Amino acid sequence: MSKPSATQVADPWGPQQLGGSGRLQVADLRRLASNAEGLCYWLVVAPLVALLPASLAYRIACWRGDWVYRRWSEKRSEIAFNLRELLGDELGPGETERLTRDYFRFTSCEVIDVMRLRGRAESLGKLVEIRGREHLDAALAGGKGAILCSAHFGSHISVSSLLHAGGYPLTTIGRWYWKYEAVLTAAERKFWDFVYARRVLRHRQRPNIEPWPGRVQVAAQAAAALRANEVVTICSDTEPLESDRPRAVEVPFLGRPAVLMPGVVTLARLTGAPVLMAFTHRAADYRHQVLEISPPVLMQGETATVFGRCVAAIETEIRTRPANWSYWASSDDLATMGLLPSVPLAGASAVSPEPVIGVPAAR
Amino acid sequence: MEAIINDYISKELVQDPPLLPLADDTSLLETGVLDSLSLLKLMLFVQERFGIVVDDVDLVPEHFDSVDAICRYLRSRAGQSAGQAGGRE
Repeated sequence: MSKPSATQVADPWGPQQLGGSGRLQVADLRRLASNAEGLCYWLVVAPLVALLPASLAYRIACWRGDWVYRRWSEKRSEIAFNLRELLGDELGPGETERLTRDYFRFTSCEVIDVMRLRGRAESLGKLVEIRGREHLDAALAGGKGAILCSAHFGSHISVSSLLHAGGYPLTTIGRWYWKYEAVLTAAERKFWDFVYARRVLRHRQRPNIEPWPGRVQVAAQAAAALRANEVVTICSDTEPLESDRPRAVEVPFLGRPAVLMPGVVTLARLTGAPVLMAFTHRAADYRHQVLEISPPVLMQGETATVFGRCVAAIETEIRTRPANWSYWASSDDLATMGLLPSVPLAGASAVSPEPVIGVPAAR
Repeated sequence: MEAIINDYISKELVQDPPLLPLADDTSLLETGVLDSLSLLKLMLFVQERFGIVVDDVDLVPEHFDSVDAICRYLRSRAGQSAGQAGGRE
């Protein structure tokens, strides 16, 4: 489960942060300061701010997002580049800058969402309108569970927790990225488990089902949840792992041929569970959100055809509300999907550690 | 049982023709024949053909790495089921 690189955490004290000479340089100091700010935001500021009235809490989150936007020029450039590259014709003057700024604001707001999952998540629940609940109820009435197919879009993980807290037994297929990135330290993994995963997983029926090479049991675990008439969520915009590429399919996505995994369709066919599209987006006031659940996706046709319907729905959502999509922050991941050339963007911080920013989502 | 399992895997799950004919001791994981979704297909087939439901806790690679391993596991499950049925009587 990982939101792309905008959200990765770096060890603020690790040796990789230092300049080549071994002495602290200006850039190193700036990065140390960014990490300190990020750690402070997750550990202290956000938990306290989340206790304030929502209008004030999310306003503070936006201020913090603006501050990060101004300071982190490399990531700002990378997001703007990716937006122009994939949506160029649709973006009016100044719109790229507005969307990029919103991206940073949303990322900060998502941390507040996580903090508002405390208790039975009522404080987040008051801010989220769920539309299409009747489709989910009808799907579960069939007795074969329901698959909510989503994307790394909006505060989807927190809102999934909210659904569970609202009475729908829900499990997510997706891996926490920090468990799998070799460059992360044990301290960083513990940090994300502590500040993030434990809060989210309180509102889940089962632990995340985490796909990874050699882990052949994941589909069967998902099938077991569906057999128990539970809800399983999966993001279908995830870039494929190298080992999965032979099973990926090429589908039109954002005007390009993308390579994505159609597992959601195969799982649905094997279990008989209906697939419903589900997207969460943030309102213009930054504090209210809407979760929209669609009627079941039409399953007639080849796997690639049905999966194409899911991807088309994801694309429509991205084009309608671009700033909510997490992948703008990672040229590397977009390249792995086939949406961008694989040559790294000059100046993008694909390799170097990045400051703590927002919520790491699930892949 | 080996012949039935081998036949199903060969026809439904093997996507790389050079792997055929499939030996009963060929590693299905190392050769990439079995992934998460194909294992689920196999489980559903086993359930339908032999009436054996695979427990979640048994979903480990050792039980599914070859036709031989699968059959060993299924026989042990069938034995457990028979033992439990006998115990109830």
